[in-house]
Amino acid sequence: MWRRSASFVLDKRQLAQASPPHQQILLSSDDMEPNNLPNPNPSTDHGISAYYQTRAEHHAVVTSDWLAQAQAAVTRNAAVPEVLPKIAATGGSRAAGSGKAFSVIDEFNYWRKKPDLAEAVAAIMALAAFIRSSEATTMMELEIELKKASDTLKSWDTTSISLSAGCDLFMRYVTRTSALEYEDFNAAKLRLIERGEKFGEISLKARRTIAMLGQDFVFDGSTILVHGYSRVVLEVLKLAASNRKMFRVLCTEGRPDRTGLRFSNELAQVGVPVKLLIDSAVAYTMDEVDMVFVGADGVVESGGIINMMGTYQIALVAHCMNKPVYVAAESYKFARLYPLDQKDLAPAIRPIEFGVPIPSGVEVERNARDYTPPQYLTLLFTDLGVLTPSVVSDELIQLYL
Amino acid sequence: MPDVQTLVNDFVLKLKRRKIEGSQASAKQTAELLRSVVSQQRLPYINQATVLLDAVRAVGEQLIAANPVELAVGNIVRRILHIIREEDLTSTASAMEGLSLSANSDDDDNYEREDHQALSAAAVAAAARSTLRAPSLQTLLEGIPESASAPHPSSSGGDSEGKSKSAERSSRSKKLKHDVIEAINELIQDIETCHEQISEQAVGLIHQNEVILTLGRSRTVKEFLCAANEKKRSFRVFIAEGAPRYLGHVLAKELVAKGLQTTVITDSAVFAMISRVNMVIVGAHAIMANGGVIAPVGINMVALAAQRHAVPFVVVAGSHKLCPLYPHNPEVLLNDFKSPSDLLDFGEFSDCMDFSTSGGSPRLHVVNPAFDFIPSKLVSLFITDTGGHSPSYIYRLIADYYSADDFVVRRRSTS
Amino acid sequence: MAQKKNHRTSSDDPEELTRTVLQAVLLADSFAQKFRPITLERPKVLLPLVNAPMIEYTLAWLESVGVEEVFVFCCAHSQQVKSYLENSQWTKQPGAFSVTTIESHDAISAGDALRVIYTHGIIRGDFILISGDTVSNMSLAKALSEHKDRRKKDPLAIMTMVIKHSKPSALTHQTRLGNDEIIMAIDPGTKELLYYEDKVDLSQHLISLDKMLLADKSALSLHNDKQDCYIDICSPEVLSLFTDNFDYQHLRRHFVKGLLIDDIMGYKIFTHEIQSSYAARVDNFRSYDTISKDILQRWTYPFVPDVQYLGNGLQIKLDREGIYKAPEVVQSRSAHIDSFTVLGNATTVGDNAVIYNSVIGQGCTIGHNVTIEGSYIWDNVKIEDGCKLSHALVCDGVHLRAGVVLEPGVILSFKVEVGQQIVVPAYSKVSLLPQPSKQDSDEELEYADANTGIIESPSIATMMNAQKVDFPRGTSDADRSGTSEFYVSGAGYIWSSCEGGNEDEWRHSIAPIPADKLSESLLNAFADVDAPDQDTSCIPASGELLPDSASTVGDGEDYRDSADFEKEVEATFQRALAGVDLENVILEINSLRLSYHMSHADCAGALFHSIMKAALVPSYSSKNDLYANAVKEIIKWRDLLKHYLKTLDEEIEVILKFEEISVETAREFSPLVSNILSCLYDKEILSEEAILSWAQEKEGADESDKIFTKQSEQFIKWLREASEEEDEDKD
Repeated sequence: MWRRSASFVLDKRQLAQASPPHQQILLSSDDMEPNNLPNPNPSTDHGISAYYQTRAEHHAVVTSDWLAQAQAAVTRNAAVPEVLPKIAATGGSRAAGSGKAFSVIDEFNYWRKKPDLAEAVAAIMALAAFIRSSEATTMMELEIELKKASDTLKSWDTTSISLSAGCDLFMRYVTRTSALEYEDFNAAKLRLIERGEKFGEISLKARRTIAMLGQDFVFDGSTILVHGYSRVVLEVLKLAASNRKMFRVLCTEGRPDRTGLRFSNELAQVGVPVKLLIDSAVAYTMDEVDMVFVGADGVVESGGIINMMGTYQIALVAHCMNKPVYVAAESYKFARLYPLDQKDLAPAIRPIEFGVPIPSGVEVERNARDYTPPQYLTLLFTDLGVLTPSVVSDELIQLYL
Repeated sequence: MPDVQTLVNDFVLKLKRRKIEGSQASAKQTAELLRSVVSQQRLPYINQATVLLDAVRAVGEQLIAANPVELAVGNIVRRILHIIREEDLTSTASAMEGLSLSANSDDDDNYEREDHQALSAAAVAAAARSTLRAPSLQTLLEGIPESASAPHPSSSGGDSEGKSKSAERSSRSKKLKHDVIEAINELIQDIETCHEQISEQAVGLIHQNEVILTLGRSRTVKEFLCAANEKKRSFRVFIAEGAPRYLGHVLAKELVAKGLQTTVITDSAVFAMISRVNMVIVGAHAIMANGGVIAPVGINMVALAAQRHAVPFVVVAGSHKLCPLYPHNPEVLLNDFKSPSDLLDFGEFSDCMDFSTSGGSPRLHVVNPAFDFIPSKLVSLFITDTGGHSPSYIYRLIADYYSADDFVVRRRSTS
Repeated sequence: MAQKKNHRTSSDDPEELTRTVLQAVLLADSFAQKFRPITLERPKVLLPLVNAPMIEYTLAWLESVGVEEVFVFCCAHSQQVKSYLENSQWTKQPGAFSVTTIESHDAISAGDALRVIYTHGIIRGDFILISGDTVSNMSLAKALSEHKDRRKKDPLAIMTMVIKHSKPSALTHQTRLGNDEIIMAIDPGTKELLYYEDKVDLSQHLISLDKMLLADKSALSLHNDKQDCYIDICSPEVLSLFTDNFDYQHLRRHFVKGLLIDDIMGYKIFTHEIQSSYAARVDNFRSYDTISKDILQRWTYPFVPDVQYLGNGLQIKLDREGIYKAPEVVQSRSAHIDSFTVLGNATTVGDNAVIYNSVIGQGCTIGHNVTIEGSYIWDNVKIEDGCKLSHALVCDGVHLRAGVVLEPGVILSFKVEVGQQIVVPAYSKVSLLPQPSKQDSDEELEYADANTGIIESPSIATMMNAQKVDFPRGTSDADRSGTSEFYVSGAGYIWSSCEGGNEDEWRHSIAPIPADKLSESLLNAFADVDAPDQDTSCIPASGELLPDSASTVGDGEDYRDSADFEKEVEATFQRALAGVDLENVILEINSLRLSYHMSHADCAGALFHSIMKAALVPSYSSKNDLYANAVKEIIKWRDLLKHYLKTLDEEIEVILKFEEISVETAREFSPLVSNILSCLYDKEILSEEAILSWAQEKEGADESDKIFTKQSEQFIKWLREASEEEDEDKD
């Protein structure tokens, strides 16, 4: 669990001298995790992790022929949104007594629906909104409330990394701002708000930056293996294509949500020659691959990444065939986690359609993502520049030290 | 004092025609040229930093284009750009604060938007948050142009221009240029003395009765070994001759003249010998941002052999060879293909290349690449004039030496 | 090593330069017509070689070796050359490198050019004489110093020729540059050039060297594997020499040979062979092709496309296996660009196009499904879909409509248009300009004056409607090609193959030599091998004839001569047997004697030999009737023999011959020697002095030779006594 990590200790110390109440909130948010992980009612639609919903939502946009699948996804999750607030409410109320928690969650969900808005951004938007609505009168007070809110938000969906990353990032920023003393509180408050709202723009710009960085690595005649549907990776490849780079792409199918189909479709539209593989054909085709591109749900302190299920094994195959593995991820996905093994993370549960009814008593691994250790990654393209995994951990330590 | 432009053209021609031998020479000359550029640049009342930056960029762009193979040139240009920013920053910091950031960082931003296509990666990355240090999470939120009034520790040349409207700018107008030139002089000093700096560390690495293996001839390596020798270390040197140019023979001569115990072997004998070797020391053409090394051809093989027998593989190079770029596509982009005549005698093989009788297509191809690329995982240690570093630490050095928005040197039209 | 390093940096040691300002004369006119019809519109030196004008390579090299003053002599299209140079990087060159143009329109040969330059009186010291179509990366320092040193020692050493080792093809007997192979005789010690022949006729396989060469040189080496680089380091005398002898036109054919032949002035030419570096001259289309490929294979480093030495400041990127790409290339994903190809700036390549071993210029548009193989496409060429080009040369602004096929060796000059689906036959040259009539194509000018007679090849209208609307044509053509199809048809004249004739086209064209030609020349080659040993191709390439070996060769030769001389004589003799009257026989033998430079003695010997042979012909049981035969024959031919036995040593010759015969060819005579001798004496064919002196000669000889003297001992004794008696009688 992430609280094992060094940074957690740091965090704790720092919070301690920040303000006592956090402790208890933090703990509460901790001990509520267990009863959040095994989801209350094990029916598929409720079992779906919020993280997975977001993914589904974001995929539910664009291209006609994808719509069919999108529809499927949406209908599957149709039930979810209205149950969410309930969970949220319970979670929220349990976390922090203040009624504002509701607004945070709703705010968050509101932003979350926006197609090309990353979760982290949504979170920060939500927090910004929270600040606006809060009637704290001192910086300290504001911070405390904000902390509560963010914890609520985090605890609401423990599975989403970029969510917590976003919250942490913003909180960190708030504390740092408050550190520089402002003569009047409102100026500070305004500044915070206006920062938060700007954040969406940042995230967009970040994507563009990464595309720019990444496309340099695509050379003529190269073959690129892509796994999962990452908007950043897509942007990179699109840009490379528009710069008349000649390359071809191999897409993994990405069972069960068929991310590959959609991805290949997008690429085909910009005229990039693309080929679909079933997930198990990766090792088979790896010899003709020049580089592997993946996105990331979160980049952890070790420099490793957490990404859609299957990334790990692809990275392993690539590594033993000496193919570079490039990760494209915005810097707000850097999370203060230090997973030591796969099971270290709260699993993001998702439905898996096998087409045939699964015999009773057979268990199904329904986790949506895995953890890829840093030694299997070559480089990360982030809006902070092209980084080696070791640099990432540096950055995080710098930030939270 | 001749006109700068002619100096520049002259130097560009030299570079184009590969008339400058070796990284150090080109680095030094580049620095000197840019120094004269800076000193001759007449500065306006305001925005000195930008003016300087643009002037240097304009020249640097030409220089880099002139000989893309010689990375040292680009490195120096970027170093100097960095210097200017730093100097400007310090002087700004000393200057008064609290002025609202001006429009020009703004239009910087619009500028990015309108033609970010043209501008390549790093430039955008930089402008996305114009900070002096490499962008970091810390500044993720702060770097926004419309940011409010608080002065940030990490505000850049770009930002400082805003403050430049302040009154007592004039007092500093001389100072900035002066400081920059001072700094450049230091840089040149460093380049000149880098060999000594590196050699000083020799004794620490080379121990009594060790066997050192090197390939080809690198001046840095030579100095390094000689330095150890002067310190009364007795050790033996294996020299792989370094086909096709056989500079190893030259090195052997020099070392023997200095009284070192020297053995010359063929390149192909490296693996046979490596088991008896205690350490491999080679020079480099350039050190890339990911710790990979571009070095004379054949060294990759040595590195592999060394890894196989767990022999430490040490790369010695002056810090002017430290390149902030990544080897996107090493074998092509950063390689230089020399004339085949190093390998074959044209006369002997001329009949193999008689296209009239061989159906018009050359049947005999001779490829003579100048460089190898050695991935960082094969390198055990870098020794630069700033000390020894592990490959994973290189990015730090780069962060110190270069500022992110100089990775791509492009003339920024300030209009 | 140092030399090589020097070559790599291509900068010469400064003190070499400071001594004197190094000058160079660059002839921007080849004074030949190899590149017609292209050269009608643009001077040869400005024709692009791998997308850079040839003169760029030459100037760049001159600059790199530290030449400081270059005088560009331009004749044909001088305006173009001058304006080009004015806009080029060389005239606004910083530092010491000045390019000045000298113009003259009536010069029709290199000789004239040099004479003009002499009149200008601008050459102060040693200078480099080079033609504007030379590509090289050699380092001049060594050659130059050698030359200077020689000059100090021997002021007659006025020129140093740069040569390069390059094997000629045994099949076609031409160098890879398409010139005929050159035979040079070089003094291996001093590297002096002794003999130079660039027009070896291979029909009869022999070269004739002046005997004097063998006489006064301790050693000389003959080469047919040296390539003349046409880079000469000359002393000022060279110019004056040209002005003195007005008949010197061609640098090699007249000047070099002239110097080598005349020994009054005793001027010497030396050679400098370059080892690692490259030098070659674009002389014909074949060499254009070859040198282009050498450049792509980087033999001319640093003068290669991706090093920005030459004029164009473009960043050309060298991809895998020698694919050079300029920045703005637009290439379809499905297009297949193969090895050793250059894509010029702003060129677009359509879908499924296949390009290999070719050079594509700037701003070209290449349509879909086009195949380009081993061709040279210059700037702004339009190639529509489905065209097939193999080993063709296509100049600026040419427009090939859909489906055109260019067969190997085709030359399309500027702005030619070719209509749809037309197949241009191999080796045909097409130009917008009409072909000048022969009589002025003899005179060596690159440009034709427009008003000369025009040869229209009959096939123009039929093969492709080649005229533009505005051009006056024979009515017959007009009828055949209706006005409707003008613009689909295209424009241009087909040139009838220029001097050299069609049967020779394949030698010098861009296309590789077709298989059938190769195979047939292969046969010839085998024929050569069978041919007798004086074949040039069988002289070991650059074999060295040291004095002794030379002498043996000498012996061998006259031995051979005498041998077949004897055969001839015998043949005549046989005819005499058949009953030709004596006079004619004598006549014939005399004529033989003259043609073989033989003495009377030889004749006598040969004759006697044949007589003895004749004696063997009829059957004989014992040696007695053999003797009888012999005597009979001798009597029969006595007069004939007498006719040659004028003096003593001729008679002795006969005796020796007789010995030889009876030892080697006809042993049967050996027992009879004495008898026959006496018989010869009786018949007054041999005088006693002859026999006696023969005997005396043999005194000193060793036993083996004495058999016959012993055998005929008493006969000789008797002779002696006889003579003594006579003496006694006297007193």
